[in-house]
Amino acid sequence: MSARVNMRPANKNTLLKVVILGDGGVGKSCLMNRFVSNHFDEHSFHTIGVEFLNKDIEIDNENYTLQIWDTAGQERFKTLRTPFYRGSDICMLTYAIDDKSSFRNMNMWKNEFLYYADIKENTYFPFIVVGNKSDVLVEEREVSQLELETWCNENGIASCIETSAKSASNVQEAFKMAVQHWLRAEIRADRTECTYSDTVDLNKKQSDSRSSCCTGASED
Amino acid sequence: MDENIPDEVLEIFTQDGVLLTTAPAAYIPYINTVGTLSIVEYPNSNLTRCVEWKPIDVTIDSDMQDQEWQVVNTIAKRHRSLSGNFPVEVGHRSKYLKINMNEIKSFRVTTKNQKLAFRDGKGDCICTFVFQHGNCDGLVAVLKGIHKTVVSRRDKHLYCIADDIKNPERQQLDKSFAELNLFQEHSSDYVWKFVKNFQNRPYETTMEAFSKITDIVYRSPDHRLLDNEVNDILNRSLEAIEGNTTTHSHDEYEVVAHVPKLPERKDYPRGRPLSLEQWKALQDHDGQVEDIDAVKLVIFRGGISPNVRKEVWKYLLDYHKWDYANNEQQNLIKQRNEEYFIMKLQWRSMTKIQEDNFTDYRERKSLIEKDVNRTDRVMDYFAGENNPNLQVLFDILMTYAMYNFDLGYVQGMSDLLSPILYLMDNEVEAFWCFVGFMNKVCSNFDVDQAGMKEQLQHLQTLTAFIDPEFSNYLYKHDSANMFFCFRWLLVWFKRELSQQDVMRLWEVLWTGLPCQNFHLLICVAILDTEKNILMENNYGFTEILKHINDLSGNIDISAIISKAEGMYNQIIAAEHLTDSVRFIIGLPMLGNAIIDSKEASPDLSDLAPCSTNGEVDEASYESAISNSFL
Repeated sequence: MSARVNMRPANKNTLLKVVILGDGGVGKSCLMNRFVSNHFDEHSFHTIGVEFLNKDIEIDNENYTLQIWDTAGQERFKTLRTPFYRGSDICMLTYAIDDKSSFRNMNMWKNEFLYYADIKENTYFPFIVVGNKSDVLVEEREVSQLELETWCNENGIASCIETSAKSASNVQEAFKMAVQHWLRAEIRADRTECTYSDTVDLNKKQSDSRSSCCTGASED
Repeated sequence: MDENIPDEVLEIFTQDGVLLTTAPAAYIPYINTVGTLSIVEYPNSNLTRCVEWKPIDVTIDSDMQDQEWQVVNTIAKRHRSLSGNFPVEVGHRSKYLKINMNEIKSFRVTTKNQKLAFRDGKGDCICTFVFQHGNCDGLVAVLKGIHKTVVSRRDKHLYCIADDIKNPERQQLDKSFAELNLFQEHSSDYVWKFVKNFQNRPYETTMEAFSKITDIVYRSPDHRLLDNEVNDILNRSLEAIEGNTTTHSHDEYEVVAHVPKLPERKDYPRGRPLSLEQWKALQDHDGQVEDIDAVKLVIFRGGISPNVRKEVWKYLLDYHKWDYANNEQQNLIKQRNEEYFIMKLQWRSMTKIQEDNFTDYRERKSLIEKDVNRTDRVMDYFAGENNPNLQVLFDILMTYAMYNFDLGYVQGMSDLLSPILYLMDNEVEAFWCFVGFMNKVCSNFDVDQAGMKEQLQHLQTLTAFIDPEFSNYLYKHDSANMFFCFRWLLVWFKRELSQQDVMRLWEVLWTGLPCQNFHLLICVAILDTEKNILMENNYGFTEILKHINDLSGNIDISAIISKAEGMYNQIIAAEHLTDSVRFIIGLPMLGNAIIDSKEASPDLSDLAPCSTNGEVDEASYESAISNSFL
């Protein structure tokens, strides 16, 4: 994936595949819809199967097309969800700040992603952690900002943000942050990797390699 | 025909009443003798597998010669016996006609599947058997289980045997075939990979492999769809085979770019919905419905009028019994009412501490809560904050989780319940109708999603049969896994249709007419309507997924049901109807394909409500009877 920056002709869009993961009901689809169409529907359906939307954005005078993939959150649908992880450029791990268990499950989501996205071992992958529903009342909050930052530090994730798809707070920022984070990871990869393939093999076989860019990840 | 007799023998298949009609010179004295045909395995020998035939007097007492008695007796006891069912007399085996499986390269089945000739690699006949009891379908099924077989394109009676599946030499080839399977995501270039393997393979095994290639080419109705380069390789290889082999191969192996056409699709206009008057007329004075088939046929043709829908759904969903008189029905209702509240009380009486100590339960409850809050909230029935119907939706799903604890709650269930609750507007009735619906579709919610995967695979098989050109397009665009139909299948088009349309479609599908898995034909019909857009725009997997997801709200369901019915009638009238398709739509199989037998039996028993199938069933039953006494 690292080759894409260099391959990109001037003034052309870079297509980035963003996968949003997290427990059912944390607001994955709502984040996507708020970002893409600035629309929010509190009672929108839960996602069945897999959906995606495209959105063009400009960051630091560069044009990007984000292809945002949204999947069903229930464990049951794992086998039909995971094939879509491959070829991702960015992974957005989400939880709801009024739902502690969705926060705890981020470990599971992160591991599932690394396993099925076929991320090479010891490579850095741009994760961004999004705590959604920041509009909830203080007394309903179950995950503090400090807990979020601690978890990210423990897991070697540099980007995190609290958002509200409902009140449109920080949603654009979250995606922008994700792209910037991806860019930094690209630059870092270019520095560390002297040689890399010039082509992206989209059909490459899934391997069993687990990546572990996280340090000191706890089980819970 | 090896004389070396190993001591351990495993019988894989045995059939009595098999007449030897053509045989190698040494066995000419046995010609026109009745005997027992077996497939045996010698685990300790390099013979491995043989076809064996022994004259009848070796195993059966002479007083059993009365033909008719023998037919009844032996069929009942020994037809399709498996290994270990009866002792094998090792000492006599040297007298048997024994053909090493490796020598058999093809077999030809004729005379209403009663005659089977084994052929060697040159296409010469090794021996011929006539099956006096029934037919050779059982044997053919076993042979197909052991070997990869392909029906010759030139001669539909000829089955060509490819190498043994376990043979390592074949693994490369098998691998490329595995890529035709679902969820192997590299199928786009399967023809290429196949051709590469094909070129690397030694000539000795080329011919069998070639028959496989013809099968693939056969799936591509149009030469233009194959790359020119691939075409060239296939043609060159064909020429090589023609130049180097006897005339048999020329006759039997040929690249045929022609696909057997389905009969023309006819129009099946939709009928009028079942009316209240019709419904009343179909019930006798005691409330029993006598002609269930007639009711279902009317519903299949036109659905149910809204003013009688609520009543009839209870029957379609097995809450009410068609053949119960009024008082029996009342008893059943009473009983189910009590049962419901017992189950509801089970979770309602859970204390806070119990809940805290029961993570699974808590998670289940929390997911139901979340999903209930986002199910059909645009409908008036579920709209607004604190809508009491949401509580009922929640209660039913929670109670269902107690009713079926193993399944619990899976996303999609609330979609299936919502129209039922809306129509019933009664908690207990909605619950039991939901149970009836879930019984029909519970495999959609398997933990390992096996039911969904199987349906996607079946959908792919049907698409390939009905529309090979489109199926080929999907293969070439990484979309043969049919994943884009996932949502359609999981909640039976609930997310694609309006409430009224989905109710109409569901009642049509619940009739089980005209065949099982008719919902898959609905999928094929929708895809047929969209395929030109997909193909003209050269859409790949993501674009197809997007297009299909965006179809929601733009499907003319009446037209689609008509088209699907037309497709069904095309399929059953097709001369080349394959067993894999027969299996999916619930027709009895003819033994031309091996399908997991443990799955096959329940599906075949499901045929009962389907009148068309009933006829076929009866016909095949009749022919089986007459075959037995020829």
